[in-house]
Amino acid sequence: MSSLVGFLSLILAIGINFYLLLSRYILRFKNQRFNFLIRLSSLLTLLSFFSLMYAYVISDFSNYNVFQNSHSNKPLIYKISGTWGNHEGSMLLWLSILSIFSFFFSFTKNTEDNFQKLTLIIQTFLHILFGLFIVFTSNPFLVNSILVNEGLGLNPILQDPGLAVHPPILYAGYVGYSIVFSIAVAGLFQNSDDEWLHVAKKWSLISWTFLTGGIALGSYWAYYELGWGGWWFWDPVENVSLMPWIAGLALVHSLMMVRGEQAIKKWIVFLSILCFSLSVFGTFLVRSGILTSVHSFASDASRGIFILLIFFIVTGFGFLVFLLKEPKKSNSLNLLFINKVSALVINNILMIIATFTILLGTIYPIIIEVLYNKRISVGGPYFNSTVIPIMIPGFLLMSIAPILSWQTNKIKNSKKYVLGLIILSFLVLIQSYFLDFNSWGFVGLLLGLWIILASIIAIFSSYNFKFNFKFFQIINPHIAHIGVGIAIVGITCSSVLQNELDFNLNVGDEFNVDGKRVLFKEIETTNQTNFQSLRGKFLFDIKKDQSQKIEAGKNYYPVSKMITSEAGILHKWDRDIYFILGDQKNNEWYIKVLINPFVSFIWLGVIIMMYSGLIAVTRR
Amino acid sequence: MNRIFILIPLIVLLIICIFSLIYLLSGKDPNKPPSALLNKNVPSFESSSLYNSNKVIKTKDIKNKKTLINFFASWCSPCKIEHPLFFEIRKKHPELYLLGFNHKDATLDAKKYLEEDGNPYHFVGVDSDGLIALEFGVFGLPETYLIDENGKIIYKFMGPLTKDILINEIGPLL
Amino acid sequence: MKLGHFFKALHITILGFLFFSFKILAVENIEERLKSLTLELRCMTCQNQSIYDSDAEFSNDIKKIVKQKLQEGKSEQDIKIFLVERYGEYILFRPLINYNNIFLWSFPFILVVFGLFFVLIKIKRKNV
Repeated sequence: MSSLVGFLSLILAIGINFYLLLSRYILRFKNQRFNFLIRLSSLLTLLSFFSLMYAYVISDFSNYNVFQNSHSNKPLIYKISGTWGNHEGSMLLWLSILSIFSFFFSFTKNTEDNFQKLTLIIQTFLHILFGLFIVFTSNPFLVNSILVNEGLGLNPILQDPGLAVHPPILYAGYVGYSIVFSIAVAGLFQNSDDEWLHVAKKWSLISWTFLTGGIALGSYWAYYELGWGGWWFWDPVENVSLMPWIAGLALVHSLMMVRGEQAIKKWIVFLSILCFSLSVFGTFLVRSGILTSVHSFASDASRGIFILLIFFIVTGFGFLVFLLKEPKKSNSLNLLFINKVSALVINNILMIIATFTILLGTIYPIIIEVLYNKRISVGGPYFNSTVIPIMIPGFLLMSIAPILSWQTNKIKNSKKYVLGLIILSFLVLIQSYFLDFNSWGFVGLLLGLWIILASIIAIFSSYNFKFNFKFFQIINPHIAHIGVGIAIVGITCSSVLQNELDFNLNVGDEFNVDGKRVLFKEIETTNQTNFQSLRGKFLFDIKKDQSQKIEAGKNYYPVSKMITSEAGILHKWDRDIYFILGDQKNNEWYIKVLINPFVSFIWLGVIIMMYSGLIAVTRR
Repeated sequence: MNRIFILIPLIVLLIICIFSLIYLLSGKDPNKPPSALLNKNVPSFESSSLYNSNKVIKTKDIKNKKTLINFFASWCSPCKIEHPLFFEIRKKHPELYLLGFNHKDATLDAKKYLEEDGNPYHFVGVDSDGLIALEFGVFGLPETYLIDENGKIIYKFMGPLTKDILINEIGPLL
Repeated sequence: MKLGHFFKALHITILGFLFFSFKILAVENIEERLKSLTLELRCMTCQNQSIYDSDAEFSNDIKKIVKQKLQEGKSEQDIKIFLVERYGEYILFRPLINYNNIFLWSFPFILVVFGLFFVLIKIKRKNV
């Protein structure tokens, strides 16, 4: 029953959008009528989505999608998140979020009517494309032709709180760029008012903030779930999320230039079209079966070709309108070496180079295999060797950019900064001398700390300190950059200064980790709701009164016959101690312990960046 | 001048879409990379028979013979699925030399398996440490290679063989 | 003042010496070389994991072979070529620098050069 409701409401939503798109006199529609239809279509899409969710919650196995991906023993929260834990459901989530953005955009005030209508018309166009894709190739409302009592079980790796929340937040980021895309293309048609730049800024910031959160959640999940201690692998699917993130970052920075009366409209339009194109391209890469990755959904060629077509149409349409309706030449830029404008321009260029490098690296294997029928890998080492060196000058610039002037190339209080940099370099050099010297570690640490220091110097010497909201709005760029600096420190320390210890132990043995005594207490196997768990139990720091318990091991899921590795992590503010239980050989268990310094700083830095994004939305 | 710059994204889009389309239509499997040894000489190997450790097969023994090499093991379930097909191959193509390599297996288990399910191979070589498989670039069982009379590897298939593959891909090469 | 200059120079020299001495004295043993090499090799039976990180049977086999060859005195390049001959370039996470990949490796560099030119021209134009 709910499947029927879900399917019909989806069809109806698409139908309304067809009506809107094909109406000849669409622009003459009264606002009320137009907005009513847009919002109705959005609500119907949401109804469709929640119908699917309802089917999951009640374990309605007459729905083929629910049958394939769920099980009545699944805890409720994972039944709910199972709705989007598969290809069809996640596409419906994608479409629903698209509708939500259209819905909220229809309430925007202070924009010209035609412009708002035009934006929403482009949104309906996108809605139709993805809606048809769902109806024809990825229908979550198919009826199960056999009578069953039980489902086939969800992929056990997805039964996890972090991963349950990761898709909605990530998609809010990806799909949010659809509105930015539509705004920019509508702006090209209007070609008069620059008001749309302010509207674009708000929505780009919202999308970027969500995307940051989505990517961070994915990384954090990989870190504690996949069991080998990494959180970024330059996996194609990760790259695909990083590209719109970097391009989106360039976009929000370019939109800030609008404030200083230095608009680079063409570049902003280009970035706006690029971000959503990259999102759609990402959808294509992940779901077409063209790549193998921990992330990719099972797929078939017809789906792949359909999404490729959507990607071609959307991106082609965007850049074609861009070609044909070039924005008017804007004011020439006040470029000095070095003022805020030139810093922003350089930073934009660096970010776009990074984005295109990641793009090339990700699609290069496809090109080579088509040309030479041989498969190559473009993995982590390539991106680390190219993207990171490109970003370093960008980070250096970032440290002082907020205090640069729009007009002149003078830096206030420059002596303070120089002195700060010298003292900091010296301190970091001494620290490196006493620990292991590592060139990347030195560079990363110095860079991260310098960004934080410069931002702090700027906050205290350039503004009158007042504890009110307006002050926090004004220092927001510095806060954002402090977040980046903290994240850089975390990334550098946890990767370059990571310590790895291997042990082969019997139950009851004691060993040393990070200067503390650890007891390998016992091995325990238990039966949980839908899996069996094998855990090694450890007591960390037994000399203290209260030693800490850590468990590491593996889960076995009988329905899908998968084994997952479950690491035991001791989170401290300045390091993570990461226990991995290996295999047993002759009564001895292989245990690996990773000591990751300052991992928490990565997550802290990201949270600060997200906070900063939200504060920025409130500024005009 | 500026028009050219704006044309670049469209050109890049076209290139990406064309290559992706070709890739999708060619039915390539992201889990099965094309063999690095395609059209190269079969790697040199030396392997004793499963049934008689004094009988040895070397690379030169399959020279001037069209050979089908199959890596298998008694513990490999997909191998059992493709196993009957080899009898058909032997019947249909009597001139084809079937060489089986028993990969990382216990001799007793292998003999038992071949006794129960039959032995379609002209020769069963032992590869207990996996070094022969290493030379061929094998990383999962079963894997099958077709070698022509000149000693060149002309076809590789990963996974259990099916009748379709036999008819459409291996057949034309024989 | 001359004394001040002298101490500054001495200071810098000592720091420089320390910097370089640490680099030269870094002892690389087989285990470290094994780790850094296998981090760049793909586990062919896993999803995008390195041979170092994976404990699949295939990875353990390759780790053994790589260790053996390192102990025999083979270089990292030799071992990579050995594996590429059998498994294809796919097994390397760092693409080789050869004729096919020249565009891949030079692309970022070319973009940076373009970007530099662009910025310089724009600034020059402003100052004219």
